[in-house]
Amino acid sequence: MNKLSLQYKIFVGSLLILMIALPWLITSSFALEILVRILLFAFIGTSWNLLGGYAKQLSLGHVAFFGLGAYTSTLMEINFGISPWIGMVVGGFVGMSASLPIGWLCFRLKGPYFTISTIATANVLMLIFLKFRDFAYGAEGTTIPNLGNAPLMMQFETKTPYYYIVLGLLVISLAITAWIERSRVGYYLIALGEDEDAAEASGVDVVKVKRNIYMLSAFLTGLAGTFYTQYIYFIDPQTAFSFNVSIEAALVSIVGGIGTLWGPVIGTVLLETTTALLQSYLGNSIGGIQLTVYSLILMAVILIRPTGIVGYFKEKFKDRA
Amino acid sequence: MFETILQAVINGLLIGGIYALVSIGVTLIFGVVKIVNFAQGEFVMIGMYLSYYLSTQYGIDPVVSILFSMPILFVVGVLIQHYLIRRVLGLNDLPQIFLTFALSLLIINLSLMFFTANYRTIHTWYSDEAFHFGGVYIPYAKLVSFVLAMVLSAVLWVFLKTTDLGKAMRAASQNRDVAQLMGINPNRVFAVALGIALALAGAAGSLLMPFYPAYPLVGQVFVLMAFVAVVLGTLGNVMGALVASLLMGVAESLGIQFIGADSGLIVVFVLLLATLALKPSGLAGGWRK
Repeated sequence: MNKLSLQYKIFVGSLLILMIALPWLITSSFALEILVRILLFAFIGTSWNLLGGYAKQLSLGHVAFFGLGAYTSTLMEINFGISPWIGMVVGGFVGMSASLPIGWLCFRLKGPYFTISTIATANVLMLIFLKFRDFAYGAEGTTIPNLGNAPLMMQFETKTPYYYIVLGLLVISLAITAWIERSRVGYYLIALGEDEDAAEASGVDVVKVKRNIYMLSAFLTGLAGTFYTQYIYFIDPQTAFSFNVSIEAALVSIVGGIGTLWGPVIGTVLLETTTALLQSYLGNSIGGIQLTVYSLILMAVILIRPTGIVGYFKEKFKDRA
Repeated sequence: MFETILQAVINGLLIGGIYALVSIGVTLIFGVVKIVNFAQGEFVMIGMYLSYYLSTQYGIDPVVSILFSMPILFVVGVLIQHYLIRRVLGLNDLPQIFLTFALSLLIINLSLMFFTANYRTIHTWYSDEAFHFGGVYIPYAKLVSFVLAMVLSAVLWVFLKTTDLGKAMRAASQNRDVAQLMGINPNRVFAVALGIALALAGAAGSLLMPFYPAYPLVGQVFVLMAFVAVVLGTLGNVMGALVASLLMGVAESLGIQFIGADSGLIVVFVLLLATLALKPSGLAGGWRK
């Protein structure tokens, strides 16, 4: 558990100050929207990374918790008038509780079949919400009642407050990751990610460690669901349980550097900037171009350097030293 | 009532034959190369578009077009093994899972760009024809595809059991290192396994075309079915995958008949989750230790 260097602390501190100052420096609302997207997916990616990166349980069903969080806060707000601030935390806990049965099922399989079973559970949830017409508005979905500027109900007239909310979420998830990375649990996670049987033989309670990290990862992903729904003022099963969210959560971490603190952030910046550039050059006319580019980047990373961008720079610095 | 059930079972078996072609491919690759091919459904989609264009441009019947789609996809399979999969063999889960997953994303989104999301259908002279057998109704197109699917599965079965190459593939799937010591060239065996699996997916695509629309995401339906069938039928077991696929087709069809038109997938996922919960080693495997 080495001490953080002063340079690193100064770098992180100035980065944080820059991020806090950014909304004053940027006037374009398009740019601010892209920044919110980057922060949101960096947050979801960081949450995914706890399970997928450190414990190497490669889930492609994280949208399950995203959707549960989104529906929990929305239904609480519309039916009982409860503030999404409370709904967000409750939604996180709903996601967390859902991770117990889902994990119980999916952890029975290893490797690729774990991945497939997570896809299946997320799909089942989507199908269930499509069926619940009276309870959760079915396939049509619903808009969130617009209250104008209502900070207590997590509604704002400008994009700036949303920026700070999601920045706060990202900072929290990075702080948790940094803390876990340097704690005993972090070593357990890395050990079981490398070799589950060997970790178990060395006395790591593999089942418990996996369950706990899944719960934490699901809780954080649930918060993202509420945030996103409040941000776009709309919810339906197709957006709340969109497979693309699961894909992007995994992709940003893998491209940036799986199982590293900054990997998901770097990956999101790269992928989302690419998307924004593509959109401004080509417009939205060509369907499928965004994921075509993503999949090419993903393939290149896997074939050239499976440790991602962070892994690449780590090796470069090692060569110099 | 009895006739309704019988009709649902027959519908299920007929589509189950197509599921079988896809799942046998998945289980063959898993058994021999130890890779789960997330892109298997996309090769069904490629087979469908191939048959669609052969039919609309050159007037070739989709069932006849398996003579084109199978060899083309066999070559594609060999190339994918040689240029992509070979490079991640022996690495950990991450590259192995996400390489074929990336391939699947790439093919889907390229076809969205080139073919658009529109549904493409072919109307053949037998598309609307059917047998009436008692109270039961059997469309020609589905019957032909089912029979050919079963013939292809049987040919593969004989190939694996009797030919040297087939035996080499089974040996490589049982123990790669020992197989190599016996003089089996794993790269050649893996390439043939990929080729056969993709050729079967291509055949599935061509056989679907007379009664099923082609669109970029069509493969997802079939690959999900295949994954469930492969788990149910015990990973790597060709006969298990075949039987499980037929069962899944029937389960899906009964679900559609008795629960509702959009419940087919729910039945499939529930089956998958129930299998995972109760018997993760599949129907043919022993109880998990």
